[in-house]
Amino acid sequence: MTQAVRGGGGTTGIVGRGNDDGARLFRQWFHELAAAAEAGRPAAYVFVMGSLGELMRTFDLPVVFPEINSLQTAVRRVAHEYLNEAEDYGYSPDICGYVKADVATQLRGGLLPMGRIPKPSIAVNTNACNTYIKWAEIWERMYKIPVFTLDVPGTRADGAQTWPGDPDFENDRRYVEGQLRELIPVLERVSGVRFDVDRLREAMGHANTLCRSWKRVLALNASRPSVFNALTDGTIYLGVANGFRGASEGASYFTDLVEEMEYKSANGIGTLTAEQSRLLFVGVPCYPIFRRFSEMFTELGGTFVGSTYLHFASGGANLGYEYDLARPIESLAEGVLIGVRDAMDNMFHQTPALLGMIDTLAADGVVYHPIKSCRTVSTGLADSRRALLAARDLPSLFIESDMMDRRVVSEAQLKNRIDAFFEGLASRRAQAASRLTA
Amino acid sequence: MTPVVTFPEWQGRPLEEVLRCCTDLLEDEHFPTVARWRAAGGKVAGHFQVYFPEEIVHAAGMLPFKVRGGPVEAMQADSRFGSYLCSIVKTSLELALSKRVVLDLFVTHPICDAARNLGAVWGRNFPYPCEILYLPQNANSAHAAAYLRDEYDRLRRRVERVAGRPVTDDDLRNSIVVFNENRALLRELYAMRRETPWLVRVDEAYALVAVGGMIPREEHNALLRAVLPLLRARPAKRLDKVRVVFEGGFCEQPPLDLLRAIGRSCDVVDDDLLIGLRWILEDVTANGGPLTALAHAYLEHSSYSPVQHDLRKPKEEMLLQRFRAAGAQAAIVTAAKMCEPGLEEQVAYARALEKEGVPFFVSEFEENMTSFEQLEVQLETFVENLLFE
Amino acid sequence: MAYAAGVDVGSTQTKAVIVDERRKIVARALTMTGAHVTRAAEQAFAEALRAGDLEEGEVEYVVGTGYGRYKVTFGNTQVTEISCHGRGAVHMFPKTRTVVDMGGQDTKAIRVHPNGEIQDFCMNDKCAAGTGRFLGAAARALDIPLDELGGTALKGEKAVRISTTCTVFAESEVLGWLGRGKKIEDVLLGVHESIAGRSAGLARRVGIEEEVTFTGGVALNVAMIATLSRALGVAVNVSEDSHYMGALGAALFALDHVLAARAPAPARQSA
Repeated sequence: MTQAVRGGGGTTGIVGRGNDDGARLFRQWFHELAAAAEAGRPAAYVFVMGSLGELMRTFDLPVVFPEINSLQTAVRRVAHEYLNEAEDYGYSPDICGYVKADVATQLRGGLLPMGRIPKPSIAVNTNACNTYIKWAEIWERMYKIPVFTLDVPGTRADGAQTWPGDPDFENDRRYVEGQLRELIPVLERVSGVRFDVDRLREAMGHANTLCRSWKRVLALNASRPSVFNALTDGTIYLGVANGFRGASEGASYFTDLVEEMEYKSANGIGTLTAEQSRLLFVGVPCYPIFRRFSEMFTELGGTFVGSTYLHFASGGANLGYEYDLARPIESLAEGVLIGVRDAMDNMFHQTPALLGMIDTLAADGVVYHPIKSCRTVSTGLADSRRALLAARDLPSLFIESDMMDRRVVSEAQLKNRIDAFFEGLASRRAQAASRLTA
Repeated sequence: MTPVVTFPEWQGRPLEEVLRCCTDLLEDEHFPTVARWRAAGGKVAGHFQVYFPEEIVHAAGMLPFKVRGGPVEAMQADSRFGSYLCSIVKTSLELALSKRVVLDLFVTHPICDAARNLGAVWGRNFPYPCEILYLPQNANSAHAAAYLRDEYDRLRRRVERVAGRPVTDDDLRNSIVVFNENRALLRELYAMRRETPWLVRVDEAYALVAVGGMIPREEHNALLRAVLPLLRARPAKRLDKVRVVFEGGFCEQPPLDLLRAIGRSCDVVDDDLLIGLRWILEDVTANGGPLTALAHAYLEHSSYSPVQHDLRKPKEEMLLQRFRAAGAQAAIVTAAKMCEPGLEEQVAYARALEKEGVPFFVSEFEENMTSFEQLEVQLETFVENLLFE
Repeated sequence: MAYAAGVDVGSTQTKAVIVDERRKIVARALTMTGAHVTRAAEQAFAEALRAGDLEEGEVEYVVGTGYGRYKVTFGNTQVTEISCHGRGAVHMFPKTRTVVDMGGQDTKAIRVHPNGEIQDFCMNDKCAAGTGRFLGAAARALDIPLDELGGTALKGEKAVRISTTCTVFAESEVLGWLGRGKKIEDVLLGVHESIAGRSAGLARRVGIEEEVTFTGGVALNVAMIATLSRALGVAVNVSEDSHYMGALGAALFALDHVLAARAPAPARQSA
């Protein structure tokens, strides 16, 4: 009934295409960044929660995502060098590992294992993560560059999201729009490119395609077996969703990805594991032992069918919000507000989203992964889990490590807890089966 | 609502006893003044760090209560959070979970991500409204003032629902008058610490400021009006100790004993302790709309902290300004353990102070630390070095 | 008569338990783990066989557990000590809903379903402050044998407050209190209360539901039983086989396999 087929197989070569194309696009992105660094061209430093990729494209500004660069140092096992350098510079061991790896990257003149990145000519951050703000201040001091904080008012209380038409929503939207209009002349100055609203429309059109397709891809994991691993494959998709938001490559990548996943779904082609447990992942992956972390689950027949990470780290692209190209700036403001707000909700108020995902993706359990250096993601997770367990009797695992710092990741301790969790899942399955045959 | 005197103990007493009453109240983890307010039928709005527009709550006849954690063990709160987190978030929730303090409304601010998460956790654990007041982090936008005015109005509507009565513009104007006086009195106290630091120790001044967050502002005004002349007339011997500014007390508060320890070696001539209660630097003039005036004051006439982003107020510049204005000789630059913004700012502060040749001392603290012999030894050594220069 | 065994390889001690098909313990053995983990496991198993007067071939299935479970190479499979402590505790005290296991190196809180399934768990294995190690450090500092700690602590009347969060500093804090004239009994009681408090904190994370069973080597310490009970706010069950609880649970899982192999295949339902 279920088939696991290696990527790259199949008659059309479609299976695994998304991973291959994603790797290729990632290399292309860094190739362009290295060229920009060589030529001393301007570049924009942006973040996954509210990158405004649409606007950056409009000004031909290559985008650098320090969060993605930093996590790559961990995946490539050199993060400790970068972290040590930043700590020698004076940063505490207890602060965000992404920030520290970036400080070291800057101290090294932009040198990363993936290639060299240009210095920032401008930094644009939202307040989706308060550390973004402090991070931008670091570059402001280092490089004396303009730093623009796009303030996006988030959800005020659990379940109190407001929507277009509500006066409170309109107040927030007006504020975001006003700031976007203030940002445009700054981008003009920095890039030397005149603002062309038609180019913005084009970029927003590509973003529409990307978001619509991303939403579809996420939903396709309801298939049995699931068609992608939200943890491992998901990270590749996020790389493209961020690096190519507003670009035609981003749009066509995700259209292709929908095609691949629909094909897999129709043909019962799953991920590499024999799928026994369908799990949700809450938090940021454990990048220092990325492959091994995933294996500790897949070895025991567990795969991740969904993750809040794919929501917030795509800046809310999972909502599939469609910009109205007839009123581009107003609509950009609305889309950014809704998307970035949703990203924040996936970190602070994630219980309703998780309950929805449990049902639509038929999840057997939830894995919460709070991380040491991110209070944004981790602070309320224990309480949030409590709320989920009160609402739904579902097995869940709570394991702490970090997304950057190998020193606080203990593989043996993680394995112990993961094994115990799977013993519980197996026991639950056995109980359910014996009830059926009784 | 019948006005109730929540803190009568100090009235008519001599200065030393007044100060002791304030310290006792500060250290009382059962917050008797809040309990008395409730017992008289009053409602309480808890507001987290750093700054909160208390006038809006005061105008509704409610008591604004500054939630600032405390030296308690977070027995129940601990299981709601993971590790690697500042203590103030846990102990603040603990105060409410253990019913040491009972609220009708809780508001937090986007000062950092721990504080925002606190709003969500609080809301899941209590039936009354808990929300984030989204103060602007783009103070440099021309649209920030209108946005903040609307956000204050949204808060006003929330407060009206909780208080069960309207909050008119006149109510707000009256409250602004009360808080203007309070801020002026606090400025006087701080001026006294700059000019004649031997008259009031850092821990005494701290207690005088901190009780303001727990009692009706009218009572606090009366207290300060009475105490300031007594302090001026205090027969204290002038001892010239090293003049320092203390930076790092904008959110989680250092233990009182730590302040006492610092006060033994230095004169703390300025600080950012409980800066949220002293955030607005001038009188708010509410001739037009009071909410507009409050929003304007927040953006244009406010102090600084690592958690307020404003391109006009780079933190290290502001610290140097504070240092010079206070005529200080050194700076004590602290951060609460696990405080992301505080720890990050320490690096910038240290570099700027070093560049300017200002002697400084860097440290971390935790609100419930009980032993700081190590810290005292380091501080004394630091001060001795200064005296030798 | 069929037999099954469990071998619990801990960081300091390795324990083996053999049960018969009626789920009764017929033998137990304990040895120091040392550097050669597999050898320690083999040794413990061999001693248990001797104690039960059994041949190796008579034991049909062996489950390894504990941090060294993958080193029990002669075993048939591994089960985590979380599942094993839960299973063992429920076997000893069928009304168990919460288990607090205090080992030498880590402390666990486990909540179990009435049917023995693990519902939630929380471990402290990053820091020795809430574990038996802390007791060991205090014993060293006070120069008192480990087995006398509990009795001495129980004589304490006014426990001192141990504020240090690190075992490394525990010794100096303990000596500091003695230097200030505090009685050994009061200091020791304070140390026990500190450990009990942290363990209770772990238990609160999974939710304390009665009955609570206290397992692990430290559960044989009378002062720890008393202070833990106070910190949890409920009485705790303690078995004299507390330190064998993990091995017992493993043996019961092993027995499941033995009995399942015997049972006739369930009748297939026709489509």
